[in-house]
Amino acid sequence: MATAALLCACVLAPAPASSGASTTRARAERPEAHPTTLTAALSPERLGAATTIRIGFRVSTPASGTPSPVTDVQLLLPPGLSIATSDLGLETCVLSKLEGGGAAACPPDSLMGRGSALTEVPFGSTFVTEPASVTLFSAPLKNGHPQLLFLASGELPVLTRLVFGALVMPAGAPFGTLIDTTLPLVPSVRGGPDVALVQLQTTIGAKGIVYYERVKGKTISFRPRSLLLPARCPRGGFRFSAHLTFQDGTRSSAATTVPCPRHT
Amino acid sequence: MTRYDRPTRRGIGRGLAAAGAALVLTTAGADAASVAAPARAIPHSGARTAPAASAAVPARDARTVSVNDTGYLKLLHASGEILTEAGSISGTLPGTAIVRLDIGAETVTATFTIKPATGGSISGTGRAKIGSDGRYTSFGGSLSVTRGTGRYAGAHGTGKLYGKIERVHDTLTVQTREGTLDY
Repeated sequence: MATAALLCACVLAPAPASSGASTTRARAERPEAHPTTLTAALSPERLGAATTIRIGFRVSTPASGTPSPVTDVQLLLPPGLSIATSDLGLETCVLSKLEGGGAAACPPDSLMGRGSALTEVPFGSTFVTEPASVTLFSAPLKNGHPQLLFLASGELPVLTRLVFGALVMPAGAPFGTLIDTTLPLVPSVRGGPDVALVQLQTTIGAKGIVYYERVKGKTISFRPRSLLLPARCPRGGFRFSAHLTFQDGTRSSAATTVPCPRHT
Repeated sequence: MTRYDRPTRRGIGRGLAAAGAALVLTTAGADAASVAAPARAIPHSGARTAPAASAAVPARDARTVSVNDTGYLKLLHASGEILTEAGSISGTLPGTAIVRLDIGAETVTATFTIKPATGGSISGTGRAKIGSDGRYTSFGGSLSVTRGTGRYAGAHGTGKLYGKIERVHDTLTVQTREGTLDY
């Protein structure tokens, strides 16, 4: 019991800052059943240059409450960013391969980002927090939309492998791109509540990623070019937003802005 | 296994700008002249009020040509969602071209200017839907010629637009099919 309480306390603790000054946070103004915090950062943040997005959300659940699984996540990214102008996702991975063989089954050149997640796994009358690593892959177009695949792998206390897809779509101003993710429900014990995702953070970009290509019969590695920031900063900065839908029917939203870089 | 850092797009752009972009266009179908359909005579601007000038700049026949070109362009500059590709062209309208692509999640919006070797320029826009992923981003849609200068002053037209971006080397293969140009 003490362990479970400690783990839950960790979930509610502030997440470490990911990129210093370029990260801001915002909490939804209305009281919500599952208040959500969104964090975003651009690293590095130089206009016209390559960058890696680090974006994540955290759902706070009252200590007395039961966390409700997130069933849909809509992440809205600022305009002016395009995967197509980067080298990311030169190859694609399909859902069945990822489900069957994990990350190793996907081409290295389909890797798009990495991150982490926390889930609340029901154990008896309590919940235990399980950390998971997250890997993001490029997937084939689906219904004309670019697609991403998330792989979340946890080992303790329960060995889990969760794969889910996200569609990349255009979004209206002031945003440019919508990443729409539908999360599958993960059953726990019979009759018990489903596993709840309470925190997800991932990069989208080339930071820490190595690709491979064949040149004159030799395999060489290279760092793919990352997403390119636009030459001009959008008015008001780079805006990010998240809309979450929960299994209990409630919704939560959060937004954050990465300020425009200061001129030097 | 060798590890290396590939040059940045900015670096590539500078290199291309210095060396001059290479672009190859091929003509598909009949020669432009053979498909030209002379229509009504359009007096050159000022011809009615300045007879002396009209002798120096003779009026020409309006023309309609069908355009079927294929080009291979190289990256000039990249920023955000924007790729700017340029090079020389040959085919129905031989010359040089510069194409600016705004690549969204689902669509590509293009603006282009062609400078035919015979003089003048032709500009327009295009919009196409992205149809593939991975190493190649292909797209298909339509284009409109919206204006021209010189001998192509007042040019307008439409056509089908197809393209393919090879993302590692940032080359753009672009095709115009079933194009019609009036000028």
